[in-house]
Amino acid sequence: MGLFVAGLNHRTAPVAVREQLAVEEDKLRELIRDVHATGAAREAVLISTCNRVEVYAVADAPGEARAAVFRRLCQHRGLDHGLVESHVYTHVDEEAVRHAFRVASSLDSMMVGEPQILGQVKDAFALAQACETVGPTLHTLFSQAFAVAKKVRTETDIARHAVSVSFAAVELAKKIFSGLTGRAVLLVGAGKMSELAAKHLVDQGAFPVYVVNRTWARAQELARALSGTAVPFAELDVALGSVDIVVTSTGAPEPVIRRELVQRVMHGRRGRPLFFIDIAVPRDVDEAVGTLNDVYCYDIDDLKQVVDANLRERAREAQRAELLVEREVAKFSERLRDVEVIPTIVSLRERLESIRAAELRRALARVPDAPAEIREAMEALSSGIVNKIMHAPITKLRESGRAGMGRSWTTLVQELFGLGRTP
Amino acid sequence: MHASLINIAVTGYVLATGLALAYLVQRQDLVHRLAVLATLAGWAVHSVAIIARALELGAPPLGNLPDAISVTVWVIVLVEVLIERRTGVRVLGAFVLPIVVVLSLKATTPRAVTLAPALASAWIWIHIALALIGFAAFVFNFAGALMYVLQERQLKAKRPGTFYYRLPALDTLDRLTFRTLALGFPFLTTGLILGALWARTAWGSVLTFDPLASLSFIAWAIYAATLAGRAVAGLHGRRAAYFAVFGFSVLVLTLGAGFFLPGRHGS
Repeated sequence: MGLFVAGLNHRTAPVAVREQLAVEEDKLRELIRDVHATGAAREAVLISTCNRVEVYAVADAPGEARAAVFRRLCQHRGLDHGLVESHVYTHVDEEAVRHAFRVASSLDSMMVGEPQILGQVKDAFALAQACETVGPTLHTLFSQAFAVAKKVRTETDIARHAVSVSFAAVELAKKIFSGLTGRAVLLVGAGKMSELAAKHLVDQGAFPVYVVNRTWARAQELARALSGTAVPFAELDVALGSVDIVVTSTGAPEPVIRRELVQRVMHGRRGRPLFFIDIAVPRDVDEAVGTLNDVYCYDIDDLKQVVDANLRERAREAQRAELLVEREVAKFSERLRDVEVIPTIVSLRERLESIRAAELRRALARVPDAPAEIREAMEALSSGIVNKIMHAPITKLRESGRAGMGRSWTTLVQELFGLGRTP
Repeated sequence: MHASLINIAVTGYVLATGLALAYLVQRQDLVHRLAVLATLAGWAVHSVAIIARALELGAPPLGNLPDAISVTVWVIVLVEVLIERRTGVRVLGAFVLPIVVVLSLKATTPRAVTLAPALASAWIWIHIALALIGFAAFVFNFAGALMYVLQERQLKAKRPGTFYYRLPALDTLDRLTFRTLALGFPFLTTGLILGALWARTAWGSVLTFDPLASLSFIAWAIYAATLAGRAVAGLHGRRAAYFAVFGFSVLVLTLGAGFFLPGRHGS
């Protein structure tokens, strides 16, 4: 079918090469128009992100088209074509379909399941559409790739679990408290990391936010940044009594929050759970605090452990996603082969139908007094003949498409019936 | 007719249990949908079976333990599907359906068609119905408690595993456990009082020894203590969950006593 993808990504090329080849949007337009104008490729879509530069194209001579694209890309940056060539992979036909589906579904990404790539592919496709370099094949391919990506996202947990420490903390909080709306947060210490974790919690609806810090000015500053309230250090125990989530990140050499303190605080809480997120090293929360009832205490290593478990979960889900993609590729390859022969089938039908209609009109004009039955019989006769004649070539076209021989057969049929020329 | 329908229904429940457990391990939408489908199919056949049984008896099919269990299972399955729908806790089936299967094995045992002569008063039907609704609520109480214990253990151990990913949040589970207790307790209480009053009229004494009746009073006492603890002593979370598990174990013993020990509830 002449479909191919050629490019390089974070696995095949070092950043030194990728950054050289990455193309900004304006230049992308120019390049894609150039490539299309040379006639080397009938259809083309160019994707350029920091992790990949790829061209998807349909061409009669894929090898030449591929070389033309990369010559043009290198020329634009004054790069040695031979140097780049060693990093370039090429996939054709079904392999190209698989690649497109995997890229859009984020299975080919550096961080599997990351959400940005789909948007980037969509942008690249829209740009190519605006440049009018998208034809029926790439249109079908990319529409389907977007559908597959959506399916992967909804039917697997590939992008479900947090892969950063601060998001892992938010997820944990959601396993203790069903929702974070209205859950009060206390920040002890004013580190950058705790600020980030607090921001994530607030984004999920946590409110209000209190800040305790040895330096009063810094506490006020951070409280302002998070639209919270600064609390004097001396009132730490009061604050502990009223909040649900505590994020600690002081520079103190000794634990700031000891078991006795938390035990006393828990008495007044009547069973409301308390969740400590201790990002400080050395730790701010005494290890023994975690043994208390209704107290959950995660230090930085615990959070990393959760992230690792999440990554393993993602990897498992990625395997399921690969199977899903595989099924979609098989389905799609069939369709794509049909796409190749369908325009010819349609024009064949139209051609024969127009001949039939014209001849019938002429015949009926010669017998203006013919009764209705005769007219109907003539109509039926002409349709019958045309359909019988069309049947064999159409079947053959469909078969050839499925067998991957669509192009030569469509050319043949077009020649035989004089299609593609205005009658 | 009735027996073969029950067998078909139980087959549906067994299938649904397998699928629900598979869904717990491998979160796949399709598996969950199939589990719900199998549950509903089993339930539909079960409904027909209960109607057939009622027509055959000419009375509510509650007059002996297997029939009553069958109706209870029917209620539990219906409530399970509804709770899953309403709360989105889609793993509930994996915890409730195994109990359903064990119970329904008892619902398929052959039984006498004739009614015990003692079952003459309308009160007895109310006694049975209330006790069974209470029991159904405590099945969910138990499932919620079990999920709570599992989830809490994972969170304390700080090693996320299957349960961490699949089970809902602790406070959701604690709420489920509390609500089912608050719902089931009045039914159980009223059911037991009616049973005692009826025993006095029928046999002349509240305290006639019957294994099922005695054990159910113990279960009632455990649930009463839990409810009181929750209301005034701040009992909650893991300890409340342990109470729920304990209470349910006694309830299961109660039913077992009804089946295997000689007594007035008979099988």
